[in-house]
Amino acid sequence: MITIRGVSKRFGSRLAVADLTLTVPRGIVFGLLGHNGAGKSTLIGMLLGQVIPDTGELRINGWNVFTHRRRALERVGAIFETPAFYEYLSGWRNLLIFCEYTAPARPKRIQEVVRLVGLEARIHDPVSTYSHGMRQRLALAQALLPEPELLILDEPSEGLDPEGIHEMRNLILRLNQEWGLTILFSSHLLSEVQQLCSELAVMREGRLLFAGDWRTVDAQRQWLCIRVDRQAEAEEALLAAGLVDEFEYDGRARLAPGADIAWVAEWLLARGFRVVALHPIERTLEDFYLELIHPGGGTT
Amino acid sequence: MFGRQLRHELLKLFARKRTYIGFGAFVGLQVLILALLQLPRARHAFDKLLTANGYWPEDYYGGLTLAMLIIEFSIFLMGALYLALVGGDVVAKEIEDGTMRMVLSRPISRLRLLTIKWLACAIYTAVLMVYLGITSLLAGVLYRGRLGQLFVFVPMENLFAVFPTTDGLGRYAMAIGMLAVVMQIITALAFMFSCCKMKPAAATILTLTVMFTDFVLRNVPFFQSFKHYFITHHTASWVRVYHDVIPWWGIGESVVYLAALAATFWVVGAMAFCLRDFKS
Repeated sequence: MITIRGVSKRFGSRLAVADLTLTVPRGIVFGLLGHNGAGKSTLIGMLLGQVIPDTGELRINGWNVFTHRRRALERVGAIFETPAFYEYLSGWRNLLIFCEYTAPARPKRIQEVVRLVGLEARIHDPVSTYSHGMRQRLALAQALLPEPELLILDEPSEGLDPEGIHEMRNLILRLNQEWGLTILFSSHLLSEVQQLCSELAVMREGRLLFAGDWRTVDAQRQWLCIRVDRQAEAEEALLAAGLVDEFEYDGRARLAPGADIAWVAEWLLARGFRVVALHPIERTLEDFYLELIHPGGGTT
Repeated sequence: MFGRQLRHELLKLFARKRTYIGFGAFVGLQVLILALLQLPRARHAFDKLLTANGYWPEDYYGGLTLAMLIIEFSIFLMGALYLALVGGDVVAKEIEDGTMRMVLSRPISRLRLLTIKWLACAIYTAVLMVYLGITSLLAGVLYRGRLGQLFVFVPMENLFAVFPTTDGLGRYAMAIGMLAVVMQIITALAFMFSCCKMKPAAATILTLTVMFTDFVLRNVPFFQSFKHYFITHHTASWVRVYHDVIPWWGIGESVVYLAALAATFWVVGAMAFCLRDFKS
């Protein structure tokens, strides 16, 4: 769906995106992760033809975004972290205006989309009277109007309350599963990305650190929670014995290749440690992300 | 499709409250100018000028002459400011508000978008000038209760002219038409600045600065032989339709000069806009 090849962008002396190559397959929810200034928004800007790359090419559906803008973007919808509208016009009028930049709007289609995002009751009110959540829903409506195949969502949950985040997540899943939309989802909320995305890319200082299915990375390596009476002594001994590769905070440990939880239990009991807790833990995206961003353990 | 996009662009311009505040402000200014023209000194100067040239002031102190006076002052005081404000806002404000980014996530080309905005500004300028022409005439007629004959005096253009009512009305309509054409240059200049990387207010101020500097320099004796290079020399061509024999060739030259300048502003603005990066 999206093919990015050797794309670089520099703003003055700052390298925002460095020789980035990435492919986003059709039909999935693809996450784009990275701290502030990692280059995510620049990349999204380039995908939408708003930021002009210094080198490389970006294609959507096989069409170059810059040389065949209309073809590339005619089935693309986008939302930005702070959606902006013509405040003095109604939501309906805003939808008509934005839609006309792609293709003439059919009132029936607009009604359908407005219903989907749950804005029927207020759609004829001026946007200036909308809450942040309603603006996000209006933004989603304008993104859905051109009957997109690809949705680009740049921090869509930013500023939403927990209920709004939940609604947005469900809507994104629905759009992916029922409507078959490919979704490129950029967010700081790791839990959101974990729940939504089947694949992701992690960027740092403009460089791509990882791309693919994070769950398959090191999948054979198990993580445990090990808590015993003499914690420090046990950690040192387990590392020395080669049963555990590393310890993190709070007794979180990564098992060495080939080791398993039963061996660890036996080993600890045999050496007289009183085991308080010993159980496998699911590795979260946060663990993966922090490991990637700060290789070697630091979490700050 | 193009027509619909242009319609929406116009809607964006005309749906703003500020637009109507501006239109209302012009009416307020017209009333103020009318009131000032009633001051004894102003009336006396008017009467003296006409009687000294062998005309009967009462014949000329009617709606048409007042409308012309109102227009001269309105354009000088507020016309340029308001056009610079609208032209300076049209692109820069959308960028500042973030709506430009929303628009540019659509498959519309930047050039097409600019063309639509440019046309909307041109239509807006023409509408504003026609509105000024009509309201000024209405204000004058309502105040004096009749059209009267037309008297025009523009010292900078060496223009002293009188016309009977029908002829005067025709000349007045022509002048308003010319005004709608020549004032496009201010909108075009503001539009160009608006396309560059600057705040809307900066685009407006820069436009007014250029126009003011142009006006001042044009009136410096040293630059008299270069006056045909100045924008304000050509924008003044709208009053030349009041000459006994209309200098169509000179007016045509001015219009072509302004059109070429406006086209240059468009190209510079479009280049600045097309090469820009749009980021939050």
